[in-house]
Amino acid sequence: MKTTVQDGWLIGGRKLKSRFFLGTGRFPSPTVFLSALEESGAEVITFAVRRINLDSYEDDGMLQHVAGRKLIFLPNTSGASNADEAVRIARLARAAGLGDWIKVEISADSRTLLPDPIETLRATERLAKEGFTVLPYASDDPMLCRRLEEAGAAAVMPGGAPIGTGLGILNPYHLGLIAEQSRVPIIVDAGLGSAVDAAQAMELGADGILANTPVANAVDPVAMARAMRLAIEAGRLSRLAGRIPKKRYASASSEPEGRLFATEVREATT
Amino acid sequence: MKSPIEFKLYVITGENYHPGRNMLEVIESALRGGADIVQLRDKISSKRELVEKAKRLKDLTARYGVPLIVNDHPDVALAADADGVHLGQEDMPISVAREILGPKRIVGLSTHRIEQARAAEWEGADYIGVGPVFPTATKPGRQAVTTAYVSQAAADIRIPCVAIGGITENNADEVLKAGARRLCAVSAIVGHDDPEAVCRRLLEKIEAWNSKTPKFEEGLNRTGAPEIRVVINGRNERTQAATLLELAAQYKLESRNIVAELDGEVVPRRLWGETSVRGGCAVEFVHFVGGG
Repeated sequence: MKTTVQDGWLIGGRKLKSRFFLGTGRFPSPTVFLSALEESGAEVITFAVRRINLDSYEDDGMLQHVAGRKLIFLPNTSGASNADEAVRIARLARAAGLGDWIKVEISADSRTLLPDPIETLRATERLAKEGFTVLPYASDDPMLCRRLEEAGAAAVMPGGAPIGTGLGILNPYHLGLIAEQSRVPIIVDAGLGSAVDAAQAMELGADGILANTPVANAVDPVAMARAMRLAIEAGRLSRLAGRIPKKRYASASSEPEGRLFATEVREATT
Repeated sequence: MKSPIEFKLYVITGENYHPGRNMLEVIESALRGGADIVQLRDKISSKRELVEKAKRLKDLTARYGVPLIVNDHPDVALAADADGVHLGQEDMPISVAREILGPKRIVGLSTHRIEQARAAEWEGADYIGVGPVFPTATKPGRQAVTTAYVSQAAADIRIPCVAIGGITENNADEVLKAGARRLCAVSAIVGHDDPEAVCRRLLEKIEAWNSKTPKFEEGLNRTGAPEIRVVINGRNERTQAATLLELAAQYKLESRNIVAELDGEVVPRRLWGETSVRGGCAVEFVHFVGGG
């Protein structure tokens, strides 16, 4: 394994360099988003599929702002509350002709927006059979993540905390297990608050992170995009470097031999 | 693409009304007289016999360029390559018949009050029967709806309505005066010695009333195209668009970067122009917006 942050990786046969997936929602303006995108170095950006406003003839679509850029589009199925709805949204997204990647996102609870594991599994299975490159957003449950992988997910995206909460990684133990066991890439999605969480996710063994709100709603989204990118690189490098095991008590990092003021007790008593 | 069905005089088979005469001869006489849609209605024959009758009728009506509708049985309609089915309120739902028959065949429905008529229009019926206007031996025990319902349907329903039930040469004017544009008769036509002559006279009456009163549709729409109700992005809308492309154009969406779904199925843009929209259909026009 090369100890470099530039190590490439694969999702569904696509080679990626960046380990940062950037969401496109809630940015103060398209310009801010584009600058943040630049700073993030992201190659994959996410979208939502929504109804056209029939009363407004202005094109408020997101695509016009990123036209001509070499990006991978990852539309999500947000708004779906079951597998059927998610499959419908996925098909609509694919019909836009921008690739076959789909982030399965099925929430059945409006307060937590936590993903419905059963429906997520169902949708993943069906969409994988239909030839989609499926990246399900899932709970941070190791067994579920394994099932999703078996169902044909190209990558699995466990959440750190509920969407938009910024609570960070609530269950690092589980995320560590998920990253350890998985044979497909693990992308920590949702709930991250700032760069420190991104670094932690990468140290836990994640292959990448997806962030939207912590960047878009930061006081300076462009600076936060850069901070997150650096944190992801730092976390990844740290993971590869291999951290020391945790100990309960101190062990001096300075050589004890030859320190000043040491009392040579043994010699004095003999 | 299927255009809205148009007809004026609807004849339905009723072999019990002409004992000793061949059904095909009787119907051919009606066709010569100008009947422009035929329904095979037979509650007695076996399915095997029905398929045979339907096939022979189809050969006949095809020669006159007139659609053949089969009462009650979508499978018989398919087997005989008939043009559609006619259903009653207790038969299978329109959507089920539509699934069996596909989008191009005609599905008609009997209605007895305005709520049923509205529901039929909403669910995508191609036409409705309005009746029985008068008590009839064809539908014993069913209370007549009177011409009041005919007027109601004429004022409120956009898909073709055909008045039916006990209609004869003697009372046709009364029904037409109430607002009917299309008539249907069973015994008055097939039970008559000369169906051809009866059809001619009924058509004359229909034509006379049609030229006397402006069509209701034209009173509302500049182009005269039939207006249908559709659900677009979850909103109830009325439209005169016949295709998905026309519908998109109505909202100035035709050149925008969007995706369309009709009744839950994605419709690729290249097919919008040939994809017809029908009453009661659900359309989604979507695009990508910011999201995580």
